[in-house]
Amino acid sequence: MNKTIIKALVIAIPLTLAGISCKKDKTTNTNTDSETLKKEILSDVSNKVCKESYEDMYTKSLALLASVETLNTTTNDANLAISQAKWKDMRTTWEQTEAWLFGPIAAEEIDPRIDTWPVDFNALEDILSSDDDLTEAYVDDLEESLKGFHPIEYLLWGQNGTKAAASFTPREKEYLLSLTQNLVKLTKEVRDIWTTGGYTQELALAGQGSTEFTTRVAAYVQIVDAMAGICEEVATGKIKEPFDAADAGLEESPFAKNSLTDFTNNIKGVLAAYQGRFINDGKGLEDLVRANNLSLDAEVKAKHAAAIAALADITVPFGDAITTQQSKVQNAMDKIGDLQVTLETKLKPFLQQYAK
Amino acid sequence: MRKTTKAVLIILFIVAGFIVACRKADVTANAGNPDSEWLSGGSQTAFDEGSGAFSHMFNGLPEFLERVHEIGDGQFEATFVSAPAPVNPGLGPIFNNVSCASCHVNDGRGKVPGTGESAANMLFRLSIPGEGEHGNPVPVPGFGDQLQSRGLLSKKKEGDVAITYTETTYEFADGTTYKLRKPTYTIIQPYIPLPANIMLSPRVAAPVFGLGLIEGISEADILANADAEDKDGDGISGKPNYVWDVLQEKKVLGRFGWKANQPSLLQQVAAAYNGDIGITNFVFPKESSEGQTQFDADPGYNYELSDSLLHGVEFYVRTLAVPARRRVDNAVVANGKSIFIASGCIKCHKADARTSVNVSLPQLSNQLIHPYTDLLLHDMGEGLADNRPDFLASGREWRTPPLWGIGLTQRVNGHSNFLHDGRARSLLEAVLWHDGEAASAKEKVRAMSKAERNALVTFLESL
Repeated sequence: MNKTIIKALVIAIPLTLAGISCKKDKTTNTNTDSETLKKEILSDVSNKVCKESYEDMYTKSLALLASVETLNTTTNDANLAISQAKWKDMRTTWEQTEAWLFGPIAAEEIDPRIDTWPVDFNALEDILSSDDDLTEAYVDDLEESLKGFHPIEYLLWGQNGTKAAASFTPREKEYLLSLTQNLVKLTKEVRDIWTTGGYTQELALAGQGSTEFTTRVAAYVQIVDAMAGICEEVATGKIKEPFDAADAGLEESPFAKNSLTDFTNNIKGVLAAYQGRFINDGKGLEDLVRANNLSLDAEVKAKHAAAIAALADITVPFGDAITTQQSKVQNAMDKIGDLQVTLETKLKPFLQQYAK
Repeated sequence: MRKTTKAVLIILFIVAGFIVACRKADVTANAGNPDSEWLSGGSQTAFDEGSGAFSHMFNGLPEFLERVHEIGDGQFEATFVSAPAPVNPGLGPIFNNVSCASCHVNDGRGKVPGTGESAANMLFRLSIPGEGEHGNPVPVPGFGDQLQSRGLLSKKKEGDVAITYTETTYEFADGTTYKLRKPTYTIIQPYIPLPANIMLSPRVAAPVFGLGLIEGISEADILANADAEDKDGDGISGKPNYVWDVLQEKKVLGRFGWKANQPSLLQQVAAAYNGDIGITNFVFPKESSEGQTQFDADPGYNYELSDSLLHGVEFYVRTLAVPARRRVDNAVVANGKSIFIASGCIKCHKADARTSVNVSLPQLSNQLIHPYTDLLLHDMGEGLADNRPDFLASGREWRTPPLWGIGLTQRVNGHSNFLHDGRARSLLEAVLWHDGEAASAKEKVRAMSKAERNALVTFLESL
């Protein structure tokens, strides 16, 4: 008798428990408000972060071009300084967009055409000393290491970052102008694919007829993967490689001494995607997280703030810091790595569960 | 007392069992079962269906090997420039592209150029009739065995290739029409005149994930599927290619490349550096342009890529995980798989393989994987023939390429060009180009209803 009861319990209790635990797994997406929110987040990340950032970058590329045109006609140090500022301005946007480096920017191979490092100096000198007509079409045909941000940077700042307007040769000005025109063209190409090309809708309508993202979760995962991806790129590549080699020659943006700003903007982009805010505020991943897991939201933001703070703690240009402020550089890599781990091991599984 | 403890233990045990069972019902279903169909790469499967799906490091690597992978990753993306230079010198003098990643974008499949575009993600193998001393294709004097379509500014590229397509309309049994485009290639502006009997073979950059697992399949397992003389009379041959291993200085089984003409990952990577980027290395220390007018290195020059970086890139591609299947439990996918099997596709695109025991890299060891290939050569018919023999591969034979991850091509690479020259514009077109040994399978597809064809494609998209 006793034994039978025990036996019955042995079977019944676990079944009940199992039943409860199974049900729990499936109660996440019946709420209509949450359904609206999940659509809204994708729409805002797509429209207010990605699309808006590419529109902003295009606007800034036009400003850079205008300043280069002015520099070409009136070559003085003041105009050079303006062009340098416009380059940095545009670069700020570009580095943030690297936190959503998926879609056309990668598939259409626009990224390597605007941001290849290193510059092929020998070829660059050959071009300048040649008789070739340096038109935009000519630049467009050049190797990737001879166009985009970095050759422009080299021409604006010079090898040691000390360029004076007086040292500009006519050939340099001609090349600079065509390089900038080419950069504008490629930037427009990305923007157009997101706007008139309809890629914004591909992302915004994930799981609702989008061919690129057949499920909504796939789009969410793509967003978080890109966020984690840029953390990895900065921590294990952009910072670590010059640092390990103790070689400033491996640094990106060395002429403008802009590397730390680049890294910081990369990491800022992560928060922009998370918060759905590039210029105008929208719904972001944080809204879904905050509705379900406040401590995860706090963790993402704390880790992000720590990464930004660690970068800000480096007080000399990156090329110097790798040999004079090693512990601070190491700390920045660690903090960015921590953020990456949270994104990959906590935020991503969260989204896989809650974004359905 | 004792009994109670026992009962409690039993209860706990069963509850634990159910909790596990509940988890299994999730999307990543059966992820706990090492032999699950979802896990295309066995334990080295990555759950990512985004643009980074082909770019995941193996699971469970020790930290120091993770670092080797990262260094290889960085090197894979490194853009080379002309020497001398502080960073990545040595490009060219003639080359096809400037980095590994510029052809293998996102570690994936190359896109074929549109009309008027230069062939950036594909290259052309060249040879003249005959056999070299190792049974290899005979290089073309003045060109070598590959057309380098780019050169440093002061150097002449070997030539370019103009691509034109001719479209033909065909009909399924149900009356629906479909179109296939056949490419024609013409070498234009060669830097010196070409011999008249030149043979040309287009090759699109292939995805680079899962290659360590492919390398881990034992030779005996591959040969067990070989049937070069078709002794079982099923119309399917399956021929191993035996190719020259440069370091071992002997002929060994070929595994990689569209014609299985590379024996190992090291040689594959080293050959690509040398031929495609113009970066010499210890495996291939001579510039591809040596003996040509573009060559300008000093006599006795050293090779350009350090051994450790070469091995780093080799390790990188060896340890790229395979993306997991999607929608395996979907009814249409399951139906498509039955059709794939019933049509005979499975005879060459074999679903399963197991890697050998590997004590030096346990992550690769003894994994049941689902590459959907037999790694053997098959006659694919006249339509696909390049008519350029490559070691034992005839002009009509191609290696069965792995199909894992193929459904993510659009997502990762933004296009759906398939086959060795990217002529197929969709998975279905790729199927319909099959001929030769695959003719009967293809005819079965042509005889299918639209729903069946869609199911087949849906299955392929889930790979």
